[in-house]
Amino acid sequence: MAFLELKGVEKFYGKLRAIKGVNLAINKGEFIVFVGPSGCGKSTLLRMIAGLETINGGQLMLDGKDITHEPSSKRDLAMVFQSYALYPHMTVEENMSFALRLAKVAPEVIKEKVSKAAEKLNLTSYLERTPKALSGGQRQRVAIGRAIVRQPKVFLFDEPLSNLDAALRGQTRVEIAKLHRELGATTIYVTHDQVEAMTLADRVVVLRDGMIEQVGTPLELYDRPANRFVAQFIGMPQMNVLPVGMFPKAGNVYEVGIRPEHLTIVGANEGQLRGTIELIEALGNETLIHVNLGTAMIIVRQYERTRSQLGEQVGVQFDPAHLHRFDKEGKAILDGNKLAGAAA
Amino acid sequence: MQSSPNSSSGKLIIRTVAAWLVALILFFPLLFLAVTAFKTEGQAIAVPSLWVFTPTLENFVEVQARSNYLHFAWNSVVTSVVSTVLGLLIAAPAAYSMAFSPTKRTKDILMWMLSTKMMPAVGALVPIYVIAQTAGLLDTKFALIVVFTMSNLPIMVWMLYSHFKDIPHEILEASRMDGANLWDEFRHVLLPLGMGGLASTGLLCLVLAWNEAFWALNLGSAKAGTLATLVASYSSPEGLFWAKLSAASLMAIAPIIVFGWFSQKQLVQGLTFGAVK
Ligand SMILES: Nc1ncnc2c1ncn2[C@@H]1O[C@H](COP(=O)(O)OP(=O)(O)OP(=O)(O)O)[C@@H](O)[C@H]1O
Ligand SMILES: [Mg+2]
Repeated sequence: MAFLELKGVEKFYGKLRAIKGVNLAINKGEFIVFVGPSGCGKSTLLRMIAGLETINGGQLMLDGKDITHEPSSKRDLAMVFQSYALYPHMTVEENMSFALRLAKVAPEVIKEKVSKAAEKLNLTSYLERTPKALSGGQRQRVAIGRAIVRQPKVFLFDEPLSNLDAALRGQTRVEIAKLHRELGATTIYVTHDQVEAMTLADRVVVLRDGMIEQVGTPLELYDRPANRFVAQFIGMPQMNVLPVGMFPKAGNVYEVGIRPEHLTIVGANEGQLRGTIELIEALGNETLIHVNLGTAMIIVRQYERTRSQLGEQVGVQFDPAHLHRFDKEGKAILDGNKLAGAAA
Repeated sequence: MQSSPNSSSGKLIIRTVAAWLVALILFFPLLFLAVTAFKTEGQAIAVPSLWVFTPTLENFVEVQARSNYLHFAWNSVVTSVVSTVLGLLIAAPAAYSMAFSPTKRTKDILMWMLSTKMMPAVGALVPIYVIAQTAGLLDTKFALIVVFTMSNLPIMVWMLYSHFKDIPHEILEASRMDGANLWDEFRHVLLPLGMGGLASTGLLCLVLAWNEAFWALNLGSAKAGTLATLVASYSSPEGLFWAKLSAASLMAIAPIIVFGWFSQKQLVQGLTFGAVK
């Protein structure tokens, strides 16, 4: 049975239906990541689970218990906020021990738990400081420490790394992954960052407009997106989607998608598509070549340096096995007719 | 334009003199009051006023003897302290909910509350007097406490609201996630973080209640009279006795001035409505 289960949960802000009947079952120990465009309801959904937003419909079950209307303080979940939300009037040690002190845990036990967590997070020498005297990265670690000393049922993170610089973000991401391996705690993590989503998640939940578009492992979402939205949301640069008119018509296929790395630049008279090179982005480890097909633009990704020139006429080749097909509503057609891979 | 060191130091002198002048003009009545309190009645009405004389404490002794200063002082202490505490107890939860769970109407409610302060108090005199009379509360400390509390509430809610708004909501949410119930949240987070605001709001209302004269004169005169009524009693029924009036006034304002002196930092901080950190 699922450890944390959302059954048709709803959220209204006045007339705005921010969360539209979300169903989701999360297993114990799983690392779940919520992704989606800005304003899609990731934070709202997370805060509903946390009990910081009321749930206007549906049911929320934790460990077999209905917690839909339970106050946050009774849910036994821990949250790491984007702004860290440390208690400014308390030292690091007091910040980290606050929950345990409220729960009237014996002082010796608190001391031990806090020092263990501090050690894990490299905070031992800062325990007496107040948050004001810490760097952003250190504050971030205190916020995580405050969550882990409690051993809560579920960890909730709302974009915890977005206030850190790129290097620190990468480093903290690795630490969070390590922490999750060690603690094995059920975690829900909201992020904008695809790399975080792909590397941390056991399963990714893609949200749009308050609805779940797809749930799956990172590679499932990448290889078998359920619809055009997910296909284009996961992967950078995003999947090329072309009208089926450029391919021989097949069944109810409306659009065809192909990832940039599945395309190859070939001679002007070879390949299934023809076009001219409009832009070359040489990133060092890879090169992104934008090709104008006349009616559409596509991006080709290659890992070798290119000899092609701007304005050059080229052909583009792909293996039809890599094509994604979408119907008029944008839904993926998984077992549809094989497309012949010839350009129109 | 050239600004030589001479002209800028000249400006500074002018500014300093002007500042002192304004300060002295503002302070002069108070100084005059304090000086007069130590004169005999004869010296007090002398024209031109005497500045060199042998000070006497006679007026203070007489004020206490004739009208029991301590009785009025006690009434002032009780009414202002109790109304301030009561006001904080009512205003803090109101400001808390307005600051942390605002609705579309919150701003309107705040404006409406403040607008009640713009109505002249006389406008409410008759109804409140009649209510107090009917309830048998005329000339009781209880009535004064209720009226002081009510009249200070709008300001208290406003001040606390603006202070609470400076506290990031997420800190309170974090405490809830940490298992804090409403009381824990108040005790361990809101109180320490909002202490500055609560203190300055309390101080200001203490001063306002202490200085309040309109309701004190109209609702309580003898038994429940505050120092304001004591001072007033020296101006009419017994003729104008400048020296005693001054002594009584000085005794009425002295406690709150001493108090204000020690808490001025809090007060100033509070009056900027949390804008300056
Ligand atoms: N307190 C609120 N009152 C009214 N509408 C709100 C409130 N909070 C969120 N919303 C709306 O609900 C929707 C979802 O917001 P939410 O903050 O959950 O988005 P998000 O996915 O976290 O976005 P982001 O990636 O920018 O953080 C948005 O349309 C937002 O405007
Ligand atoms: Mg968000």
